[in-house]
Amino acid sequence: MPYGYTGKILHVNLTTSEITVEEPAEEFYRTYMGGSAMGMHYVLKETPAGADALGPENVLALCTGVVTGTPISGQSRLTSVAKSPLTGCIGDAQGGGYFPAEMKFSGFDAVIIKGKSPKPVYLWMHRGEAELKDAAHLWGLTTGDTEDKLKVELEDKRIEVLQIGPAGENLVRFAALISMSNRANGRTGMGAVMGSKNLKAVVVRGKQKPTIADPETFKKLQKWGTANLEATGMDGFGKYGTPGVTAPQNKSGGLPTFNFNSGTFDKAEEIDGVKLYNEHLRGHEKDDQNRFGRDTCFSCSIKCKRVTEIAEGPFKTDAKYGGPEYETTSTFGSYCGISDMDAIICANALCNMHGMDTISCGATIAWAMECWAEGKLTAEDTGGIELTYGNAEAMVKMTELIAKREGFGKILAEGSRKAAEIIGRGTEDYLITSKGQEAPAHMPQVKRSLSIIYATNPFGADHESSEHDPGYKAYPERMKYIGLTNPQEKLALNKEMMRFAMVTQHLSSAVDSLSVCAFIFGASFQLYGADKLVEVVNAVTGWDTDITEILAVGERRLNMMRAFNSREGIGREADTLSKKMFKRPLEGGRSDGYVLDEKEWEAALEDYYRLCDWNVETGHPSLKKLESLGLGWVVAENEALSKVVS
Amino acid sequence: MRIHVELMGPLVDFLPKSQRGQTTLTLSGEATIADLLKELKINIKVVVAVNDDEEKELEHVLVDGDEVLVFTLISGG
Ligand code: SF4
Repeated sequence: MPYGYTGKILHVNLTTSEITVEEPAEEFYRTYMGGSAMGMHYVLKETPAGADALGPENVLALCTGVVTGTPISGQSRLTSVAKSPLTGCIGDAQGGGYFPAEMKFSGFDAVIIKGKSPKPVYLWMHRGEAELKDAAHLWGLTTGDTEDKLKVELEDKRIEVLQIGPAGENLVRFAALISMSNRANGRTGMGAVMGSKNLKAVVVRGKQKPTIADPETFKKLQKWGTANLEATGMDGFGKYGTPGVTAPQNKSGGLPTFNFNSGTFDKAEEIDGVKLYNEHLRGHEKDDQNRFGRDTCFSCSIKCKRVTEIAEGPFKTDAKYGGPEYETTSTFGSYCGISDMDAIICANALCNMHGMDTISCGATIAWAMECWAEGKLTAEDTGGIELTYGNAEAMVKMTELIAKREGFGKILAEGSRKAAEIIGRGTEDYLITSKGQEAPAHMPQVKRSLSIIYATNPFGADHESSEHDPGYKAYPERMKYIGLTNPQEKLALNKEMMRFAMVTQHLSSAVDSLSVCAFIFGASFQLYGADKLVEVVNAVTGWDTDITEILAVGERRLNMMRAFNSREGIGREADTLSKKMFKRPLEGGRSDGYVLDEKEWEAALEDYYRLCDWNVETGHPSLKKLESLGLGWVVAENEALSKVVS
Repeated sequence: MRIHVELMGPLVDFLPKSQRGQTTLTLSGEATIADLLKELKINIKVVVAVNDDEEKELEHVLVDGDEVLVFTLISGG
């Protein structure tokens, strides 16, 4: 029996109800290490070029990594990969909680899903076995209700459920996969993919704990984590959660406000993590938030998840739907000019209840608000809802309408890029999308290397795909470990910053393949740095990997994703940023006047392509690069790709 | 010299709650950012900006009236 992983991959064909188990060799695990890279292997092998993202041929891979389920902070993550209905490119979404570890305990490292069931079903994976069960009685239910029903039906309170809510059933293009009713594999519409397959949920339960190759070293690493919680500042991060970054983001002029027209929100304090902790977390009345208002993922001592509850009033919210992250307080908050924390908590709960990505949902509403402010949308379009900046009731109402695809929500459920195509009238000028995915709450005008990552990332604008600029200067030791020793001045967009972007992108890509938490293992502020990531992988698996091999896994996954897009005919022309980031200087605060220079940006983009060994004209990966990563088969097996890659 | 300090995010806990992360410190003689952090008993990795300017090193010497922002970096969310 292998160490760390189970050695078993489940394959489910929903069209034929056929279920098979594959047992790949160790070399397979060593090549991909799990998560996103492993999922890409199956997507490239099994999804035909040009497949409809919402059709039966789109393969959905749900993958853990080789260390998932071992008792150490930051390992319980699951990656979902499939073609995205939001972007038409490859899609990818990560999520944590208890589901990933429990899936490993159920006896499988991953499940690869294809086809479409003729009727709603759920997949029940338990103790090394799997079966499809009828889900007609669950269709239409919210995530909380579905989870409650499944616990009764399967007579087990300790099952874990990864599911779609009504938004996934309604094929909202940014529908998410939700576990624990409050953790999301949020981005790129993986919930809509699962919904299109008539698959309501994947339910797991098991007792097969992973075996650890070197328990002594592993124990030392656990202890190191506990001993360094305070010194790394990660205990404070756990206490105030991701919303704790709001105030510094705002001070640095990097808090997206009014649909990215400003980096400073005059009411930032109202949506900050300190206020959220002191006045909104469950238990705050008795100063008992640590007990009642914080939650965690399997075996993680950080406890950064929020638990909120609003007992009554228009924004009534059940604690089972968790609490907002920084991305959520920003997209529903400052993006929309909203400072009402109760409304943000409620919108967050609606997203978790119906299964939607809070980033795309909030940002799409913010886009509509700018269209309204510019007179491009009126009450006639919105069914009488006044989409003015700062209108908290309208924002919450719109969130619900999107999930249900009702009224104007039907158009916004397409995501902002498609909505702009439907509406026309120049509304595309206000988009903040890259490849059709709405930008998260970190500003490329302020952290400039992000401008290239947002544009080139194969699954659209993403903030977890590389380290952010300030990390280079602030963490010299950790940067040195991955070969970065030449930090640049703020706002630099030169060759060295492109190297920083690419190398840290490879590390983030490996983190998403090992399927570990970006707050625990990473390039800069995290509890365990990249050096400890190597040690954890070796202690668990018994391998002798090093940082070079880990970075190569990340580069492999990134190139597989680019190759997927190339196969779809998508290359450099899709590596774009929102127009207004070049045309409209930011207003107010520390980033007043900041705007990207198109010429400088194009030059940086070409530097980045060259560093990646991608064709500067087309943006496609070179054959040489793919072959050097052991990916020659991707070209050989895909005719459409062999035509564009040389 | 008097230095106005604003601690942000989780760092607010290094001051009494009622101060909401803000304080004015009186330091004697020549003081650096490292001295200031010592005074505040901040012993974790932080980023410091002075007078709305670029982030400064620990050895940076403060002058009377400086406004200092102290925060931790988190690049996710
Ligand atoms: S740091 Fe937070 S998100 Fe990451 S594993 Fe721990 S509790 Fe989960």
